Amino acid sequence: MTTLLLFQTLVSGIILGALYGLIGCSLTIIYGTMRVVNFAHGDFVVAGCYAPLVLLGLLGLNPLLSIPLVFIGFFGLGMALYYLIMPRLRRADDPELASFLSFYGVSLMAGAAMLYFFDADTRSLNYSFHPSVLHIAGLLIPTARVVALAAGLVLIALLTWFLYRTLPGKALRATIMNPGAIGIIGVDINRLSGLAFGMAIGLAAVTGVLIALVFPAFGPFSGMDFTLIGFVVIVLGGLGHPVGAILGGVFYGLAEQLSILFLPQSLSPVVGFALLIGTVMLRPAGLFGRVGLR
Amino acid sequence: MSVESSGRLQAMAWIGLLLIGIACFVAAPALGLSLAFWFYLALWITLASGLNIMSGFTGYLPFGYAAFYGIGAYAAAICVRKLGLNIAFGLAAAAVAGAVLSLIFARTLNLRGIYFSMVSLALAAICRILVANLPDWMAGGSFGITLGVGYRLGSYYALLVVMVATLLTVTWLARSRLGMALRAIRDDPDTAEVMGINVGRARLKAWMISAVIAALTGAIEAWYSNVVDADTAFDLLISTKAIIYAVAGGLGTVLGPVIGVIVMLFVDDMIWQRFPVLNVFLLGLVIVLLMMFLPRGILGTLLWHKPRLRRVLF
Repeated sequence: MTTLLLFQTLVSGIILGALYGLIGCSLTIIYGTMRVVNFAHGDFVVAGCYAPLVLLGLLGLNPLLSIPLVFIGFFGLGMALYYLIMPRLRRADDPELASFLSFYGVSLMAGAAMLYFFDADTRSLNYSFHPSVLHIAGLLIPTARVVALAAGLVLIALLTWFLYRTLPGKALRATIMNPGAIGIIGVDINRLSGLAFGMAIGLAAVTGVLIALVFPAFGPFSGMDFTLIGFVVIVLGGLGHPVGAILGGVFYGLAEQLSILFLPQSLSPVVGFALLIGTVMLRPAGLFGRVGLR
Repeated sequence: MSVESSGRLQAMAWIGLLLIGIACFVAAPALGLSLAFWFYLALWITLASGLNIMSGFTGYLPFGYAAFYGIGAYAAAICVRKLGLNIAFGLAAAAVAGAVLSLIFARTLNLRGIYFSMVSLALAAICRILVANLPDWMAGGSFGITLGVGYRLGSYYALLVVMVATLLTVTWLARSRLGMALRAIRDDPDTAEVMGINVGRARLKAWMISAVIAALTGAIEAWYSNVVDADTAFDLLISTKAIIYAVAGGLGTVLGPVIGVIVMLFVDDMIWQRFPVLNVFLLGLVIVLLMMFLPRGILGTLLWHKPRLRRVLF
């Protein structure tokens, strides 16, 4: 029985980890191209959680079918936000500090807006698959989790294809590696960053849709938690490595689920924070990285 | 005007301003003005100036500044309630606890920029969770501790002493060798090291002073409000508000954080009264606009455009 429980925990660790990895992926795209930690990132994930709720209520749309719609909507929102605030922030004496604090402001605004529209109590997505639980190799796994994992893997595959096989994707990776050189060869960094920002926000919101499928409940105040998780994940994966972030996410998901199994419930959040501190202090290049950006 | 007389003019202007400010604060309760308003004004001035010692002079943004505030509040509460000591011992214990915690966290000073901010945030979160999980007989668990030493006026004057001491410390720092060393490190750590400045040691001093101020403030707030609990004592908003107030006025200047607190508390109050529902939303908007249009802060921008004012304002 205990081994069964352990396997069950490992499986949910991997599934949640893939989703955490996606949060980290979008966060690291922004950090990599702009050297900005988007403090409001988690709030966009939570906004993404609410999106299928609204679309299901208004149009009766299946949460999975709402994914492209959510992506397009939040892509536009991200682009708009970028062009509204980023060009000005970049001219500050200390762009890193200025943008970090501005995004804290954006996070407060997003949290307050969601509180206004959806109230303080937690909500859940009232949608269930049929059958609701799958038996796989003796393990009981909720169908929603399997679907979320599959959707997450498709997203990761799409993202990898974009980053490694298309020209804008290659330009994006080049910007992460050397922002100075990419300007010299004639790429419009401002446009590219806008695109990257829109894409990252869209991806964060889509991850939110999947999280709404998997998590029993979410509220307007969870944004900060997701931002922190995203940051831990990208530190684990090595800052500026979109693919490393996925591995970091899985590692974090496993650590989190195991700590829930073995530690008292109120103490288990410590593990995530301890993981962050340990990695930054001992392995600043991330668990799999070679070069430190510290 | 010679350098010496300009320095004297500056010192006199500064002392005059400080005395007027102190007189306002001391007289406020006697005039029957709301004690809570003045208490929290002094509290935020102290915290923003304490943070300025660290951030303004070294460029570090400790998002976990609340850890020191919280540990101070708990140290005082445990001394008073669980050990039955006088509140004076409580304040002393808070200062010691803050200093010890800052030494424990000293290793994080090797980190730069966002790494430092996020690790500091994580450390504060760990402190909150650990304190909330201490056994009930020790720290009251999730319900917190009631101190039972309600003497609001006493706590108010204690806070004024800490506030004035903090402002004097920042003034001293702005003029002293240590302050200059810290600014040199902030602007270019490698060159500062080559010039013979002990980078680690200078930073540690600023860090410890900053921490002790926050711990004392936390302890006095616990004394004033008569209750501590982990969620409010280690609240992230304590760190972020102190940072935003200090940045709003101008990091690295002595008067900047004071002006920032006064202006932002005024704005905050206005928002609360007119748009209670949109309060947090508008606060966020104010922060974004501030960073977009006044990234150097109010005083910082003023001094940037009118450098001659540095003679009297700094």
